Parts: sequence; structure tokens; C-alpha cells
Amino acid sequence: MITILQRELLAILRSPRAAVGLVTVALLCAAVVVARWPGGGVADLSGGVSRGVFAIFAWGLLASVLLLAPAFAAPAIVRERVRGTLLLLLNSPLHPLAIYAGKFLAVLGFVALVLSASLPAAAGCLALGGIDPWRQVAVLYGVLLLVAAQCAAIGLLVSIRAASTDGAIRATFAAIFALVFVTLGPRFLTQGQPGVLSLGADWLRRLSPVPVVMELTGRANAGGVGLVETASAVPPFFLAGGLLCLGLAVATLLQLNHRIFDRSRDAGKITDDQSLAVRSARRLFFLVDPQRRSATIPRWLNPVMVKEFRTRRFGRLHWLLRLAAGCTVVSLALTLAATTGTVAWGVETIGGLLVLLQVALVVLIAPSLASGLVAAEREWGGWNLLRMTTLSGPRIAAGKLGSVLWTMLLVLAATLPGYLMMVVIKPTMASQVTLALVSVLLAVAVTIAVSAAVGSFFSSTTAATVTVSLVLLTAYLVPLGVWAFRDDPFGHRLVETVLLATPLAAALAAIRMPGFTGYDLVPAAWWVAGVVTVVGLTVFGLRLRRLLQPE
Amino acid sequence: MHASSQPVVDIRDLTKRFGGFTALEGLSLHLDRGQILGFIGPNGAGKTTTIKILVGIMRPTSGTARIAGADCVTEARRIKRLVGYMPDTFGGYDAMRVREYLDFFGAAFGIPPRDRRRRIEEVLDTTGATPLKDRYVESLSHGMKQRIGVARTLLHDPEVLILDEPANGLDPQARIDMRELLLKLSRMGKTLIVTSHILPELARICDVVAIITQGRLRAFGTLERIMREIRQTRTFEVQLCDPGHVDPAARIVGEALTVEERGGVSSHPTESLVRFDTARDDRALAGLLGSLVGAGLPVAQFREVPKDLEDAFLSVTGQAGAGT
Repeated sequence: MITILQRELLAILRSPRAAVGLVTVALLCAAVVVARWPGGGVADLSGGVSRGVFAIFAWGLLASVLLLAPAFAAPAIVRERVRGTLLLLLNSPLHPLAIYAGKFLAVLGFVALVLSASLPAAAGCLALGGIDPWRQVAVLYGVLLLVAAQCAAIGLLVSIRAASTDGAIRATFAAIFALVFVTLGPRFLTQGQPGVLSLGADWLRRLSPVPVVMELTGRANAGGVGLVETASAVPPFFLAGGLLCLGLAVATLLQLNHRIFDRSRDAGKITDDQSLAVRSARRLFFLVDPQRRSATIPRWLNPVMVKEFRTRRFGRLHWLLRLAAGCTVVSLALTLAATTGTVAWGVETIGGLLVLLQVALVVLIAPSLASGLVAAEREWGGWNLLRMTTLSGPRIAAGKLGSVLWTMLLVLAATLPGYLMMVVIKPTMASQVTLALVSVLLAVAVTIAVSAAVGSFFSSTTAATVTVSLVLLTAYLVPLGVWAFRDDPFGHRLVETVLLATPLAAALAAIRMPGFTGYDLVPAAWWVAGVVTVVGLTVFGLRLRRLLQPE
Repeated sequence: MHASSQPVVDIRDLTKRFGGFTALEGLSLHLDRGQILGFIGPNGAGKTTTIKILVGIMRPTSGTARIAGADCVTEARRIKRLVGYMPDTFGGYDAMRVREYLDFFGAAFGIPPRDRRRRIEEVLDTTGATPLKDRYVESLSHGMKQRIGVARTLLHDPEVLILDEPANGLDPQARIDMRELLLKLSRMGKTLIVTSHILPELARICDVVAIITQGRLRAFGTLERIMREIRQTRTFEVQLCDPGHVDPAARIVGEALTVEERGGVSSHPTESLVRFDTARDDRALAGLLGSLVGAGLPVAQFREVPKDLEDAFLSVTGQAGAGT
């Protein structure tokens, strides 16, 4: 185990990502404390300033752990399998448990290092006064270590199932997103009700670190709707989180053996060549049969775009239709919940949730599609073949960007029935919905442009996906994080200025989501989004041109 | 159109420098229609650099390269239509079937849909890959992928095919199949540039061979010509009937050779064999055979040990190494 741990930890520490992560966390933590350090010999005896600083510090560290830990855990097994070194490891005298523990502890070790870089800032928080060193600071570090363990356990399980490194990274980030935010959802609907469902929802919420960090920073509990909770969220989180890690570790270990190489090659069965019965059955169950022989690319379609769709695991039409259908169902369910009075959120809140759903889909899906547009081709040797064709640079760019744009538009269009219902219920919201939709469309444009531009600088899909995911999650979460601390410690003007950076906030403000009504973000946020999109697309175009030119 | 007398591939004084490192220096060679050029050299010799310049994805520092009259630097778009390039990496895409893969490249070369369908059938038939058309590309074996790689290069019907290590990693049967395929393409009038580390394979199919080391062309021409050029000495073996005659035979052979050559005479009593290297002509060797027979030694065979492309390669690279 020590051998694996040593190698994995060294590999992590040697990567530029780790250095950037470490330095960034240390600098940001120090900057937060220094910015709020009392000046002119005047101290805040009420402890309000120090609590504010501690809250930013805690959320910042949580965000850092959630961004960094999955990026190192997700590729850990699949990368070894693709390179062939996993087989060598499994053929060595090392027990699978030792291999797993080595990889798991390496991620934890790195996170511990990141957290240790924040210790001077934590000491600064304590020096400001008003913070309990044990009940708040020590517990926070324990919670963050458990969050890192959750991320590592999820990442390693995804990694053993994934077919590619970038796929593992995407799936891990999606799973972490679900663990942190989606687990809070059922509690909204069942709180205060008796029964197993409510109990289950309550324990599901315990898996998320959000309620614990809220409690530690003295905020209202998340996932609750007005009911006061007296019990601490900390012990249940440690219990639920610990059990989750254990369960995930067992599930991973059960698969960490030679059987993961025992995958037969797909014979490539074609429905057209099957019997009439099989063809009829598939006709019944598939709106679009993925096993049918596909048509020749027509003259009027961009071949690069068709290729991009066909080579994506979820790019085939049957998957896109499933995704769109899922979005439609969720958007209609949300609207239905509001209209039938199941939850008393109001149409604006439902609209806000629809916006959040759309942008979450955009932030999760678009980077995974756009970041590898060039990097994947360069990594797998397709780039030189593409350069050798007679396709022009603009046509290649249009095909690649178009494949992402059309996917995103399809997904967004699927949520439109929810908005439509909203306008039918409250016709005065038509203009709000229009403004929100324009903002969401701009969010799509910004996300695609930034993903494509940043991803074009890499020749490895993994590096491109990780970097783009980190950039976008930071770009979307930081303004929301600042908004979460509106009035304390950040003032209205600062929050409004920061929110201009994200079209998500503009959409939420346009739909009048509670908490965003006081901010006037349209059309200034649209201008910012427009400029970022143009810059991103220009950079992508220039990179593509450079890469297509003779060396 | 270029005149038929003009070479299809014409490289003149091609040089490529990366900063202070010279990857290619003064390379000149030419190739006629339908010929197969075996382009060989150790790793890092400059083969891939040459190929990249020929296919228009790298610019030379100086010199010119033309394919079917088109300049590889200034007429890159024309070059793309004239050349089919198969790199040493396959360049496959996930979740794509073979027919879709070829369809994409056909569309990328602007082949109209109807012609493309026909062309795909043709190239699959030419490469013997028709049964693979519905298979997923990533599920193919290495040998199958190489066939599909060749099919892809043929799609737009290029005049010149440049194949980088097409036989690399293939099993013996797949290697034979690949050899037959390359000969078939040559018979179809295609001009081929093939790099390979498997020299016996190249020797069987190539009309001309270019040996390159450290960015310089060391030998170029037909295999026979290269062999003649490097063959300053030839190796002979005298097979005797009795091991006891080995020493007297070695003595007679030594007397017939020059002082410098005498050191190269070796006796092998267990094989009843005397081996020696010499630059002497056939007449002198006939005299030597006469001397052996005249001395009463029963000679079973007097033979020249044939040299092959591997010997030529080693000889040329050895000379180049000694020269640096």
C-alpha cells in the first residue's frame, strides 16, 4: 500500500494542477483574512466580522475540496487501465485492497496538504475572535476531510466503471454535484411529514456537507422550509458520510480484479440484418434505433458536426431524445408542483428552479462536449487526419461548435414546456420569462465559447476536461458564493458587480427569484456575456487556425 | 497535368531545422509512377519529418518537395487531394462503425453522397475489409485497423499513398496480407512511400529504397544498386567434406587474399566450414577454388553468402555512426 500511496501522491504533487490548487487556496484564504483584518487599532468586539470571515473561509475551502479531490480521484483507475499498467499492478503481489487504499489515501493526503495550506488563515480567523477553535474550526476540518473521502470514494468507483479518463471526470463531477445539491431536494418536499419517505429524505440530506457547513458558519439549515431544527447536523453527517465511503469502497473493491479486463468486443450487430421479429420489437421500443445502419452524410450537413454527434456516447439521437424527454418531465413536474399547491413556493421560485436546472445542465454537459473538441482529436491521432482533408478551418470550427450548440439548444428547448405552463398560470410573467430565456441562451454561448477556447490549448482530453470544469464551476459558483454573503460581509454594490459576471444571475434576477430581486443585472450582464463569448470564440478560432497551419 | 516522364514525387535539397537541431539536411530523391519506395532509417532519423513535409502539414526550412507537380508548401490544398496519408497512429473515433468512419472522411474530402457510397464499397473490397463495415472501429484488431487505415487513404483516389509503418505490430498472416495489398495498390498505378522497421518485408515489395540516418540520405536506389554500392567486400563460405581439411583450406584461402583480408578468415571445424570476406573479383575467386581443388581438398560447396536489406541498413547506419 505504501508503494502505491507514495507513487500516487508523488504523481499528484508533480502535476501543475496540484501546484496551482495549493497556491491558489493558500493565497485566497490569506487574502480573505487580511481583507477583513481590523485596521487603525479598532477591533470588532461583537465577533460579527470574524464570523463573516470564517463563513467565507469555510465555504471557500469546501468549494476547493469539491473541485480538487474529484479531479485527482476520477482518473486514478481508468487511466491505469487504458495505459495497461493496472494489469501489471493486479499481476503483482499487491492485494487489490492495498491498491485501492493507496489511491484513496493519496487523494486524502493531497487534500490534507491543501487544508494545511489554509491553517495560517484559520489561525487568523481565530485571532479575530468570536470563533470556537474546537466546535467550529476543528470540526470544519474534519468535515472537509470526510468530504474529500466521499469525493475520493465516488471518483474511484466511477473510475473503475468508466471507459475513458475524461468520461470518468465528467461522471464524477456530476455525481458530486448530485451528492452536494440534489440530495437536499427531497427534504424540501417531505419535511415535517411522518413516514419512511420523510425519514429517507432526511438521511439522504445527511450525505450533503452543505447543511453541516451552514450550521458551523451560523446560517439557517439548508433543505429546511422554515421548521427549526435543534439537533446538530454534524454527527449524522459523519455517520452517513462514513457509511457511504465504506459502501462505495466495497463496491469498488468487488470490481478491482482481472474481470474488468474481461470485456468482449462489440460485434456491431445491425438491426437491418436481424430477423423480422427482432426488427419489429426494436421498432416498437426505439423511437430512433441506434443499431440501424446510419445514412450517408448528406451534402448539406457539416460532416464534422455529424462525426461529433456520432462519436459521442450520448451524441446519438436516441440518447439526445432521452435527455430531452427527461428535461421535459422535470420541468413539467416542477410547474405542476407549484400549480397544484404541493409546495407553496410561488411561480417565481419555480421559474428560478427551472433556470437553475437549465444552467446546471449547461454547466455539466457543455464543458464535457466542448472541452475535448480539439484535445480529443490531438490525443487520439485524428487531428492530422482532419488536417489532411480538404475541410477548411471555419468549416471544422462550425461543425465542432455546432455539434455542442445544437445539443444544448435541444436540452434547453425541452424545458420550455415548464416556462409555457408558467406563463399560462401567470401571463404577466411573459416578459420575465423572455428575459430569463435570453440570459440562459447567453449562458449557453458563454459556456461553449469558454470551454472551446480553454480546451483548445490542451492535447490531452483529461487535462482539458479538468481545467475547463474547474474554470466554469469557479466562474458560476464564485458569484453565487459572493451573493450568498450579501450584506454580510459583502455590500449590495459589490454583490451586484460580481453577479454581472454570470448570465445565470441575470436569468435569476430576470425571473425575480427570491434573493435576486434587488439586483438590476439586465442588460449589463448580457453585454458582459456577449463580450466573453466573442473573446472565447475568437481565441478558439485563432487556436484552430494555428493548429491547422503547417508546423 | 504533369508529363508522364516527370517523377511523381520530386524532393530537392529538403532541409528542416528546429532551432539549433537539424532534423533533415539536403534530402533529395524522386519516385516514378507506380513505384514503391521503402523509406527506412532508425528512430529519429527524419522519416516522419519528411513525410509531414510531403503531406503539407510541416514547412521545410529550405528546399522543395513536389507531388505530381504540386508544391507541398504552396499548394497544400491540391496536395491533400493527391496524397493519401496513413500515419503510424490509427486516428480512430469512439462509437463509430467502420462504414460511418469512412463516410465521414469521404464527406470531408467532398465526395458526393452517391459516389461516396460506391467508393466506400470499392475501397473496402480492395482492402479485403468488406466484412468489417458494420463493426465498431474501436473493436477492431490492429491488423483490421491497418486495413481500414489503408481504405481511408484510398477513399479520395489519391495518386500517391504515404504509409507510415503499415506492418508494425501485425501478425505474420496480417503482414503477408498487407504486403499483398501494397503490391495490389502498386499494380493499380498508385505510387507508394512506405516506412517500416521490418526490413525483410520492405525488401520483398520495394522497387526503390531510401536509407536515412541523422537527417541525411545515406543510400537511395534499387535494392540491387544499394547492395552494389555498399558491397565493398563480399562474404564467401567454403564447405568441405571432412573437418580435417578445414585448416589446410583456411591456409590456402589466406594465401589467396590480401594481407588486410587475411584477418577475416575464420575456420569452423564443427561445420567443416571456412568463411572469409574479400573484395576480390570473380576471376580471382575462381582461381582460389581451383587452388583448393588442386590441393586435393574435397570442396562440397563454394558459395557467396547473400546480403539483404538488413545488412545494407546496418552497413549504412554503421558507416553513418562512424562518421559522426
